[in-house]
Amino acid sequence: MAASATALTLPLDHKGKKEEDRELVRLSQNGAEAAFEELVRRHQQRVFSLVGGILRRAEDVEDVAQQVFLKAFLGIRRFDQRAAFSTWLYKIAVNECWDYLRKKKVRPLVYESDLSDEQVSRLDGIVSADRPPEGPNARAEARELLDRMLAALPEQDKQLLILKEMEGFSVQELAEILDLNVNTVKVRLFRARGRIMEVYRRRVDAQNKSAAAAAQKKG
Amino acid sequence: MPKTNLPLRPRRRKARDMSTEIGLGKNACAQYEALLEDYLDGALDTTEARTAELHVQNCEPCRAALQQASASVRLFRAAGPSEGPGPAFARTVMARIYAAEREGAGDRAGIWQSLVKLGWRFAATATVVLAVLVTYDAGWGRHLQRNLNSPRLMHMNDIFAPDPANPPASRDEVLMMEAENHGN
Repeated sequence: MAASATALTLPLDHKGKKEEDRELVRLSQNGAEAAFEELVRRHQQRVFSLVGGILRRAEDVEDVAQQVFLKAFLGIRRFDQRAAFSTWLYKIAVNECWDYLRKKKVRPLVYESDLSDEQVSRLDGIVSADRPPEGPNARAEARELLDRMLAALPEQDKQLLILKEMEGFSVQELAEILDLNVNTVKVRLFRARGRIMEVYRRRVDAQNKSAAAAAQKKG
Repeated sequence: MPKTNLPLRPRRRKARDMSTEIGLGKNACAQYEALLEDYLDGALDTTEARTAELHVQNCEPCRAALQQASASVRLFRAAGPSEGPGPAFARTVMARIYAAEREGAGDRAGIWQSLVKLGWRFAATATVVLAVLVTYDAGWGRHLQRNLNSPRLMHMNDIFAPDPANPPASRDEVLMMEAENHGN
């Protein structure tokens, strides 16, 4: 493992990303740690997103993501490159997340699914708006409201929606990572969208009813 | 699927199919769900997109489902992606890898060292055993020599050893010699 970062000279400009990954994997398999570090840099964002999408616990995400790359490093000599490196890595990440949750005997974080009237109003504003809210506070609030709504969904629906819509994984990637048929992923996603919006609609309806009841009392 | 008014349980329940709890209103046509998901995703070519649009225009449940699905996209877009790793993440990962490698090398060295220790112990034990055997053998040899030189044994030698000057010529002479010796 003597290769240094400076010794890594890859003709990266003219190759596709996957080809570059293949080359980096080959170098890593021959003991070039700098090549593996480059793989970490390339995939850290997606691994973070994937782990964050499943665990939903910010305090655990970094530790599990590190563990994912450590396992990838330890197993890279056995990786035969029949699948893309990213697919192999994401599968390690999914397994690591479930191992982690099993060992800790916790379920992915869920919030109370009930929302206050004020929260429902804010959510209504988000859904009706053409543009997403700007600023970290607005996003954090939207995220919290969304997490509360997601709590009402089955685990698999929740994961599919988070990974697809929030973390930007493609249908193809989700099918590979979760060992599902592409068409199954599409159908489940479409149904999950309907379910979460039904949860939202129920909240709005409940708020409208309570507002009407309050108005009647006043009248 | 009929709409139900079951209350949503608040937290930490077992994962299960909630489709009976969450009313979905009218379902979209099953054969169009995947296509509509692709339409929402912008993954269809012009012809396929036109097919989806035509169907949606003529199918009320699919139109409603597509509207709901579009609203869900806005909802998720508002939340945005998770926070990414810090700038030092890759370095931290590599440091953890180096530490794991050192630990692995330490474990391998530990196994080798214990083998060497075992070897030395075996050699030391063998040396002690050899020394004891040599000492014992030497002592016993001297003791045996002393016993062989004793007058009693020399006398016994005389009894049994034939006279080299007059060896017995026949079996009878041997018997005679034995009888004489016994008589003495």
